Amino acid sequence: MTNDARVNEYLAELRRALTGMTVAEREDIVEEIRTHIRERAGDALANIDETLAGLGPAQELAEQYRTGLLVQKARRSISPLLILRAALRWALTGVEGTVVFLIAVFGYLMGVGFLLLALLKPIFPQRTGLWIGPDAFEFTIRTGVLPGSTPALHEVLGWWFIPVCAIIGSLALIATTKLLQFLMKRFRWRNPLAQAILATGALTTGWGSLG
Amino acid sequence: MAKSLPVAVESDSSEKWEAQMRKGCLEMAVLASLWHGKLYGLEILRTLERDSQLILSEGTIYPILNRLRTEGLLQAQWVEAEAGHPRKYYELTAAGRERAGRMAEMWTEFSAGLGSLIEPVLKLARKTSLGRSRKESWL
Repeated sequence: MTNDARVNEYLAELRRALTGMTVAEREDIVEEIRTHIRERAGDALANIDETLAGLGPAQELAEQYRTGLLVQKARRSISPLLILRAALRWALTGVEGTVVFLIAVFGYLMGVGFLLLALLKPIFPQRTGLWIGPDAFEFTIRTGVLPGSTPALHEVLGWWFIPVCAIIGSLALIATTKLLQFLMKRFRWRNPLAQAILATGALTTGWGSLG
Repeated sequence: MAKSLPVAVESDSSEKWEAQMRKGCLEMAVLASLWHGKLYGLEILRTLERDSQLILSEGTIYPILNRLRTEGLLQAQWVEAEAGHPRKYYELTAAGRERAGRMAEMWTEFSAGLGSLIEPVLKLARKTSLGRSRKESWL
């Protein structure tokens, strides 16, 4: 295979892997990488192996682009699905991402759980509610023995349960979304890793002394 | 008494730590490299290598540039070059300039704060390495 053909194959693989963006964005990236290869390897594409190795596999390069853009989109988005996807992708890159992902899962599960309870109240009015007893304070749907047969445990909200759950659920979804957007924005540049670097005194000793 | 790590494990974790450190400061380094004017990708790589000894894999820089551009910290423009093909030049936006300044301030404050903490460690480490190199020269 000629050098030109290898470059074209690499770029075609990159193009295929760059999903989740517009054609214009994709072509812009491919063109920039093509220019880089040309500059690095020279017109004769003499050092093509070294140049392509420096860029890494096309799939991995595309993955780096996609991760960056997804987190970026999620910061602006209010779609829980997009934010969860970005958090999951971020979780694969390190501890801070994992923490963000766990917050996302917990917050959204809580929100969806309350909304579900609001929907279930009309279907199971006797079993769904806010149950209060000596050791209980539960927003839940009770199974087994019908509530009310235990005098100590009683439901307090009645039909108010629906708006209360709907409000708590919505607030949980909104608060989780806002918190995640804030964390994504904050972590993007106030990266703890960057702060850890400062602790090394790298600024004054120079990078070379770290090697 | 603390047990010392096996040399291979210690060296491996040091390398990982160093790689993470370098990765963590990339955004600041890229923004700082554009402080004096517009550059294209390969020039940014060379500037980082020359001025900060921050050697990146070539595949790392472009996704970072792309993300910084979508964040509004950089703007990019294709410019016809003497090389015979166009190059994509990046420059700081006002927001990017402000961000770079704030990052530089944070860096300096943090470094100054912890500098005194690591100073004795650094002195001892230098003394030890000096002693070791003298011993080796005698042998």
